[in-house]
Amino acid sequence: MAVQDFLLASLVLSCLAASSYGTSFSSLPATLIVSASTKQGQVLKAGEDKITVTWSLNTSLPAGTDSAYKTVKLKLCYAPVSQKDRGWRKTEDDLEKDKTCQHKIVAQPYSPSNNSFTWTVQKDVPTATYFIRAYVHNSADEEIAYGQTTDVHKTTNLFKIKAISGRHVSRYCLCLLLCFLYCVFVWILLLGEEEI
Amino acid sequence: MADINGREQQQSFEIISIPPQTIPSDPTKFDLPVDSEHRAKTLKIFSFAQPHMRSFHLAWLSFFTCLISTFAAAPLVPVIRDNLNLTRSDVGNAGVASVSGSIFSRLVMGVICDLVGPRYGCAFVNLLAAPVVFSVAFVSSAEGYIAVRFMIGVSLATFVSCQYWTSIMFTSSIIGTVNAVAAGWGDMGGGVTQLLMPFLYHVIKVSGATPFTAWRIAFMIPGWLHLIVGVMVLTLGQDLPDGNLGALQKRGDVAKDKFSKVISDLVFKYAVRNYRTWVFFLVYGFSMGVQLCINNVISEYFYDRFGLTLHTAGIVAATFGMANFAARPLGGYASDMAARKFGMRGRLWVLWTVQTLGGVFCIWLGRANSLPIAILSMILFSIGAQSACGATYGIIPFVSRRSLGIISGLTGAGGNFGGGLTQLVFFSNTGFSAATGLTYMGIMTVACTIPVAFIHFPQWGSMFFPASKNGKYSEESYYSSEWNEHEKEKGLHHGSLKFAENSRSERGKRREIAAAGTPPPGFSATPVHV
Repeated sequence: MAVQDFLLASLVLSCLAASSYGTSFSSLPATLIVSASTKQGQVLKAGEDKITVTWSLNTSLPAGTDSAYKTVKLKLCYAPVSQKDRGWRKTEDDLEKDKTCQHKIVAQPYSPSNNSFTWTVQKDVPTATYFIRAYVHNSADEEIAYGQTTDVHKTTNLFKIKAISGRHVSRYCLCLLLCFLYCVFVWILLLGEEEI
Repeated sequence: MADINGREQQQSFEIISIPPQTIPSDPTKFDLPVDSEHRAKTLKIFSFAQPHMRSFHLAWLSFFTCLISTFAAAPLVPVIRDNLNLTRSDVGNAGVASVSGSIFSRLVMGVICDLVGPRYGCAFVNLLAAPVVFSVAFVSSAEGYIAVRFMIGVSLATFVSCQYWTSIMFTSSIIGTVNAVAAGWGDMGGGVTQLLMPFLYHVIKVSGATPFTAWRIAFMIPGWLHLIVGVMVLTLGQDLPDGNLGALQKRGDVAKDKFSKVISDLVFKYAVRNYRTWVFFLVYGFSMGVQLCINNVISEYFYDRFGLTLHTAGIVAATFGMANFAARPLGGYASDMAARKFGMRGRLWVLWTVQTLGGVFCIWLGRANSLPIAILSMILFSIGAQSACGATYGIIPFVSRRSLGIISGLTGAGGNFGGGLTQLVFFSNTGFSAATGLTYMGIMTVACTIPVAFIHFPQWGSMFFPASKNGKYSEESYYSSEWNEHEKEKGLHHGSLKFAENSRSERGKRREIAAAGTPPPGFSATPVHV
């Protein structure tokens, strides 16, 4: 009975949510257990280091909880300290407006256990503090559940990523060459002038 | 006789220059009809003939290039803020820095134009800007980013050289239109860059670079543009209709002001003590200043508020800047048309009307919650603010003849000051949203346009009052009052007298001319030989 009530309630809620703007995050149940190979406070290098994420359904939940689950999408999300003074990373309850999780890791079909993925941190990930969240989608691609590596207040199990600088050696050479050409250019210009 | 002023030349101003093309001083040999100062009476857009049209095209192109690089970062901010780990205040401060640099440089450029001519000023600013733009590739922190945007922003001084150059090449009755077309097409750079930079970024990314490298490489293009334009101005340009400034000063055709006298007289007496300069300093801050601010924030605003992609936000933002192509000339043209019928009073009314309307549409933009309304109000806002800029520079050439450069520079500096101020007050604050910032900025614009009503020319009048009735005030007396008796004895004020004669068009159609043996009334400004 409790299960049916629960299912009915979540169905109604998700319908309501869908008929308004986007799904509301606070309406999603945390049914997945997600963990990552990172340690608290570890610093990873973008473009080089790897993260292994594992996730599975919380076995203490009643059977049939995951009947509508179709796909799981893993995302890299900003921790509150990296959202401060940066309105473009703001957390909003409306998932269509929410900007907390901007980097996709992977999307896979749902299965209740034995899920794992190793991800090389991409080169366009900025320097910040992160956690990982997995959203569960139904066949209509709406979010219906989630799980994350950190706690509800987003304070535990956070890790840092250090971005690439973008200033590669080859680009240095290009710039130096251009500066040199510029100097030659101006020198020739001044040399070619005559006094009136 | 020709060397009275030549002997006083400071050694520091003996700059080597390229031999100018031989231009005859016979008016019939010019490509366009000219007035008594050999300034052109028409604008032939598709011509590149020496000296008028070529200078026109070089003037606006050099300014256009500086605008491209000053605002090149704006559409790429969503990528740069992640690469350099910027906060909201860092982004805002960089925007303020990008327009503050030229507050001072525009003043200096005004002085430089008066002393060595617009060609050198313009060319050297461009050639110096190039290495700074190339150095963007090395920026690694918020401080570096702010510093480099400040230094690139200094190049906006070319606005003054652009306006100065067109003002000495074209006659008073069309000066509003010409100044507005040149500046408008230059200002378009702020819009073009919002399209160009995301496009370059995309192309470079597609060819294999990561985002954090691609934006740095994209900055190479504006750097090269500076180099090319700087060289073109030096080799193809000419300061005055009759030749280059240095040559004319040596021949004694043009009075050469001593540097110290320039600073004391021109700056303090005729520019700073003329209250009109300060009214325009304020007013221009809320037409051009507001535009500069918007160039910095609008792309990010549409990206964040309406969830557009970098590319699309850039296109929307670009329409704001690109409207300059027509809106600013429209303002100048409206100013000139109003002047034909109502003289200077018409020009002042046009300025007040369009700038106030711009402010009203800015308020609407801030309150718009849907994308189509936001775009519509933004376009109307851009037309209002940009035509106000055109209308302002339809009046500036008449505020002073002797210190045109410095007043042009001070007004331009006011534009940047307003731009930095509005960005700092309304968009660097985490206290209220960008949308609210826009609304407040619109309100402040409307309030700060009211001082236009206080501009009064004794010979022509103001918005609410006609010209001072006693015949004491004529154009000649206003402009020759800028020279002292000693200088008048030497005949140094003849240039101003010629200008005064040509500016009689500012009386409008209905004014009667005082019976003081003066040329016939009318708006065609036909040259009359005194």
